[in-house]
Amino acid sequence: MLRVALKDLMARKRRLVTTSIAVVLGIAFLTGTQLLSATLSDSIKSLVGDVYEGVDAVVRSPRTTETPFGQPIRNPVPAATVEQTAAVDGVAVAQGVVESTGNQLIGPDGKVFGGGFGPPTITYNWTPDSIMGTGGLSAGRGPESATEIALDNTTAESLNAKVGSDVKVATLTGGVETFRLVGTVGLGKDGKGKTGAKPIFFTTEVAQRLTNQPDQFNYVVVKADPGLSQRQIADRLAAALPDTQVVTGAAFVEENQQSISQFVDILGTFVSVFGYVALFVAIFIIYNTFSIIVQQRTQETALLRAVGARRRQVLGAALLEALIVGLIASVLGLALGVVIATLLANAMKSLFTVSGGVALPGSGTFLFALVVGVGITVLSALAPSIRSSRVPPIAAMSAVSIDRSDLSRSRKVWGAVLLVLGGVLVGFGLTDMGPNPLFQVGAGAVLVLVSVAVVIGPTLAAPVARLLSIPFGWTGGISAHLAGENAARNPKRTASTAAALTIGVTLVTLIAIIASSIKSSSDSVFQTSIKSDYVVANASVTSLGAIPPTLNAQIDQLSSVDVSSPMRFGFMRLLDKKAVENADTTATTVPSGTFGSTNDAPPGEDTPVIGIDPATWFQVLGVGDLEGSPSDMVAGTLGVQKDYADKRGWKLGDTIPVYFGVTGRQDLKVALIYERNIGQGNIWLPMATFEPSQLPIFNSDFQIFVRGKDGVPKSEVRSQLDALVKDLPTVTVQDLQEYATAQTAPIDMFLAIVYGLLALAILIALIGITNTLSLSILERTRELGLLRAVGMSRKQLKRTVRYEAAIIAVFGALMGLVLGVAFSGALTVAISSNNPGIFTYHLPVVQLIVITVIAAFAGIVAAWLPARRAAKLDVLKAISST
Amino acid sequence: MSMPPTDPSASSAAGTTQVAAAGAIDARKVYGEGDTEVRALDGVTVSFERSRFTAIMGPSGSGKSTLMHCLAGLDRLSAGRVFIGDTYLDDLSEGQLTELRRDKIGFVFQAFNLIPTLSAAENITLPMDLAGTKPDTEWMNQVISTVGLASRLSHRPSELSGGQQQRVAVARALASRPEIVFADEPTGNLDSRSGGEILQFMRHAVTDLHQTIVMVTHDANAAAHADRVVFLVDGKIVTEMAEPTAAGVLDLMKQLGD
Repeated sequence: MLRVALKDLMARKRRLVTTSIAVVLGIAFLTGTQLLSATLSDSIKSLVGDVYEGVDAVVRSPRTTETPFGQPIRNPVPAATVEQTAAVDGVAVAQGVVESTGNQLIGPDGKVFGGGFGPPTITYNWTPDSIMGTGGLSAGRGPESATEIALDNTTAESLNAKVGSDVKVATLTGGVETFRLVGTVGLGKDGKGKTGAKPIFFTTEVAQRLTNQPDQFNYVVVKADPGLSQRQIADRLAAALPDTQVVTGAAFVEENQQSISQFVDILGTFVSVFGYVALFVAIFIIYNTFSIIVQQRTQETALLRAVGARRRQVLGAALLEALIVGLIASVLGLALGVVIATLLANAMKSLFTVSGGVALPGSGTFLFALVVGVGITVLSALAPSIRSSRVPPIAAMSAVSIDRSDLSRSRKVWGAVLLVLGGVLVGFGLTDMGPNPLFQVGAGAVLVLVSVAVVIGPTLAAPVARLLSIPFGWTGGISAHLAGENAARNPKRTASTAAALTIGVTLVTLIAIIASSIKSSSDSVFQTSIKSDYVVANASVTSLGAIPPTLNAQIDQLSSVDVSSPMRFGFMRLLDKKAVENADTTATTVPSGTFGSTNDAPPGEDTPVIGIDPATWFQVLGVGDLEGSPSDMVAGTLGVQKDYADKRGWKLGDTIPVYFGVTGRQDLKVALIYERNIGQGNIWLPMATFEPSQLPIFNSDFQIFVRGKDGVPKSEVRSQLDALVKDLPTVTVQDLQEYATAQTAPIDMFLAIVYGLLALAILIALIGITNTLSLSILERTRELGLLRAVGMSRKQLKRTVRYEAAIIAVFGALMGLVLGVAFSGALTVAISSNNPGIFTYHLPVVQLIVITVIAAFAGIVAAWLPARRAAKLDVLKAISST
Repeated sequence: MSMPPTDPSASSAAGTTQVAAAGAIDARKVYGEGDTEVRALDGVTVSFERSRFTAIMGPSGSGKSTLMHCLAGLDRLSAGRVFIGDTYLDDLSEGQLTELRRDKIGFVFQAFNLIPTLSAAENITLPMDLAGTKPDTEWMNQVISTVGLASRLSHRPSELSGGQQQRVAVARALASRPEIVFADEPTGNLDSRSGGEILQFMRHAVTDLHQTIVMVTHDANAAAHADRVVFLVDGKIVTEMAEPTAAGVLDLMKQLGD
């Protein structure tokens, strides 16, 4: 029996390849991302360790502002701390370090260099003989005067700057300043390491000025006298400097490594989700392939049974085939994964130091690949294999007919159960009921998809296939008709082939609809609530602090301007009852190796806040009814959106306990409740509250809303504003349309990435179509021969096969569209119940049509090989074969 | 019945004209090489007259199917020539052969004659649909009523009996009014009653509709419906018989078999 199975496998090598491709790709993607993130993590860790190798302890502020950007932002310490540190017995060297984002380089094209997402531009102070390895000189010298800077090698190269060139910097505090590049550096001792981040080194004084923190450092690094351990020097420092937080060098390294590899891990997890989606698609393909094979092999199996093979032996042989396919595919997938990781790592080398090459798959990765690959192959082949073992010996005597069987009763029942269960799970997940909403939504969606594949799809396949052949018939005539009938003749097969594509299209549709809804929501919010004509904003919505502090006053002075109102963007921690209940305790865990004061922030909930000028803000923004008056918004008060206040139980005049990283605990009075959520946060602080409580990098205007005077033409306002910002490359003037577009620009970028990753799932689904068609053609040899004999040309035959593929693909895409619309509808309901009035559902009709058309063409491409094989058929052999 | 045959020159004496609809000149077909060489056709020269019903007979392996496949443009000769009407098939490209089969030739096979996904009516008009031409309604009605299928046209092949399926196949073969119809053991899979019906339809198509039919068979009763029987042995034509009877054919076959 073993020999029969093996011989069978070898006799159909091509089928082996197409079946395993789906698994190979899925496994390759998963292991590839795992290996890549392991490689990156390792490299980062060794680089970070290298950079801080000479640091025995770090002295810093215990005050932090938590942000959603990963590591909390810490308060600076006064310059005097450096001297106090240096005075502690056992300290050999104490150096103050300025390390902050906010300043941007200007590229040769006059625009911000490397803005947007990706590694940040970081401002450092240059310290001669620094004990840190942030800047090992590779050319020139360090900056010595206020007009000099050093850059890292890669950045200097990309900017086309050499030692002696002028480099422009758009500063956090306003305007553009020109510096002379006097040296280039690299990370680590050899000055060759890189992380993709773009450091700019200024003199200490300039660095402090440009980061809005004169006479302050972000932390102090310490080198101990020889003979003292990190622990000993940290103990002494903590005792001598009670208001500071002291960490050992090792703990500091670990903290930095963790925050970076956390980011890499999140990225890896995000990407591997798509690998799992691809594998889910692969399950359908394997199931389908094995089902068809079992069906085609009925006579052979029956013959085996007739000559005495036991049912168990037949089942064993079928599963053995799956096992072998799974094994080969997993190993190939793993190998391909290593190749992918190596290629990607190499591609990253220009940005990033990849030390020691790609991590080779350890036993863990190897085992993972085998378990997942073999597991899903065998599981997907299980049902067909059992079916195979049920073939009665008598079937050997009767001819195999086309499967026209209706869906069995149990199949219908199970399908309905799955559908309902899936729907309920999605519903509960979306309304935040139950322990793990995200898992519920995912599991529910999987159940719904399975029921689509096994019941809904087969029920719809025949009528929809016939309907879809009509438009193809406009150009294809009989070919289209035959294609439609072929797709309809075996609804189960058509449905499970199409369902593989449905998965990808569902996700694409869902994401497209949500993105389009977000865009149209913000459009409608802007249209109804923004009463200004123009917005002066950061050129990139993702960077902070680019608008000079004087700009608002200058705009206000313009002859054409009626009102100009700035807003800022910051964070605070809520300490009200609800916040304490919801507090994420892990966020305040003290890092090991921390001495002196632990982190100061009490448990609570972090929230973004908007700083506004109450006198002008409500003239440029319409927020509906107000409880309280803008003039009540003085220092020590806040304004809050009505639904948000209702949910938290806040009333006008209530006192809310909060915590700011800069000023610590504070009580804020609710001075204003506004009606309409306009997508500008829920909590507004008057500048009088905001300014003293926020970190320097947040204390610059983020956007300025400008309204022109009545009777002055808009173009006049615009040209005056443009003239004002013409030398500020980080600042743009946007009309409301441009503003809306800019606000949603990051969504488009996210979409592009997600679509790219989903392409894998769709590719695998297309391979599934190729596979199914190849097997179907084999089955229809006789029929194709007849068609050719009575005068069907090769071209017509190819067209028939391609149209069948296109019909299957469009069927799959349409089911995906329907599911995507349904899921997005459910999601919209869930979002709206949490954020009433802000989210409007919007169907991007054109995009959805485009998705369908692309699916049709993709199907045609998928059918290329099977169509060619069909056309090459030897007519004589085909009609004489049985 | 006053349908003119396809070629006016043949109308003068329908059923007895000597104008050739198809034929082979010194046709040779060799499979394999050296020791394994098999001569399926070994210098066959034959012609099939218009509006006549010719049967090709011979023992298995005599080359009768090969001759028919080559005449019908399904296979190519190793040497010699075959023609349909005034077209020599040996000069045609693959695509031209396909068009010729579609427009000039009708086929009836022993089994699996119909596309299972198409209805009887769609199967009948298939060659014309493939050509993108409109069927001649009057002719179609005539053909369909001849084979007696008017009430079954919307049925799928799986809903028809074997005899009905073969009748649909005959109707398909005649529908495009081809130069010639090739039938390969058309009654081989049928019981004698259904087989007899099919043969009568074919006879009728030749006599009354002036069609030309060449049928490969090893059944003497089937051959008896033809105007003429050609006997093949070992790739050569050994003899032929005009106005055959079943008994005469059986006698001759016995002689040849000895």
